[in-house]
Amino acid sequence: MTSTATASWVSELAEAHLDAAYNLGRWLLGNEHDAADAVHDAFLRAARSAHTYAGGNARAWWLAIVRNSCLAALNARRREQPRAHVVADEPVDPGTTEASAQAAERGRLIEKHLSALPVEFREVVILREIEDLSYREIADVLAVPIGTVMSRLARGRAHLQKSLAASPEGR
Amino acid sequence: MDCNEAKRLIEPYLDGELDRAEARALEAHVDGCAECQAVLTQLGQLRHAVRTEAPRYTAPASLRERIREARVEQPARRIAPRRVPAWWRLAAACFFAFIAGSVVTLTWHPGAGRDQVVNDLFASHWRALAANSPVDVVSSDRHTVRPWFAGKLPQAPLVRDFAEQGFPLVGGRIDYAGAQRVPVLVYRHDKHLIDVYLLPESTPAVSSAHREGYSLVWGTLDDQPTAIVSDLDGAELARFKALLDAAR
Repeated sequence: MTSTATASWVSELAEAHLDAAYNLGRWLLGNEHDAADAVHDAFLRAARSAHTYAGGNARAWWLAIVRNSCLAALNARRREQPRAHVVADEPVDPGTTEASAQAAERGRLIEKHLSALPVEFREVVILREIEDLSYREIADVLAVPIGTVMSRLARGRAHLQKSLAASPEGR
Repeated sequence: MDCNEAKRLIEPYLDGELDRAEARALEAHVDGCAECQAVLTQLGQLRHAVRTEAPRYTAPASLRERIREARVEQPARRIAPRRVPAWWRLAAACFFAFIAGSVVTLTWHPGAGRDQVVNDLFASHWRALAANSPVDVVSSDRHTVRPWFAGKLPQAPLVRDFAEQGFPLVGGRIDYAGAQRVPVLVYRHDKHLIDVYLLPESTPAVSSAHREGYSLVWGTLDDQPTAIVSDLDGAELARFKALLDAAR
């Protein structure tokens, strides 16, 4: 591909999977501002390193860059504020009817417990359940063997089951 | 199947990662085992809860705007701000494929014997059937399938639609057959899916094979070796193979 075609290809890829990228960033970093910065940074990295793309699943390639950018942000955050409490955005109140209030309540409960999972388990659960990636795609994003994806997913789900069951809100 | 084996398979089962034979074996075990049934139910409920109740955050408009601006600022865009037409990208890809063709040749793992190739192809086909979608690029139009491959492979395959002959093109994917990534064209005939694996030239030629109601026959597409895997009956499969062999 020419450099123009490459730049255009990366832009199309990033825009086509921008929600997936942002969703991953939002779950890994916990707030809108950091997630948006990480995705923007990932886009610049992707544009610079498009020539390293060696075929295969393009979405996984893009999400791998987004993930690396998020992990770099997490590391920087840990270095700068070793004990700081991460400021998480307030959940948005989506509506006022009773049914939607209940749904929002359940959503908040899941969100709370999912956010509390260690990053290495949280990311596989997000990629599998929310982004609907296959094991093979997750393995590509994380650059680990499929067996590792399976064991992290199993442990992540077990953690989540346990914490939901122990939750005072009752499940 | 014992409970340990079943518990190991329950999550891949829910995630659509088991092939049909494994899935049937697990279902048979779970039908007769209350304990494994409970594990399956609980995991199924958790999966449902996360999928339906956890928020999927959508990118804010401001981020979309930032990406567009960054795109405009890229030097390459200044040199040629015009969008490159798809046909030109395709032509460029074909050209490079032609140049690269003699240098970059996909090779099958040298240690893999003929049986291994056959096993890998059946396993790949069954995995695709168990997955949510058998294709990564959906299309009934070869003009969108080939450019999709062109962006991902040194050589984009010849893509032909046989809708008029009763075998419409569903789309394509790049899949593992063993450890090898190969392009796959996916066709449909009534309710049957047909995977056409485009194989490296070095693939050992093997006679056709049958497993659990599925057949694998060997053919060529534009002189490239292919393996056709499907549950079509023999006569229809032969008809499809003839179409593929004759395609230019």
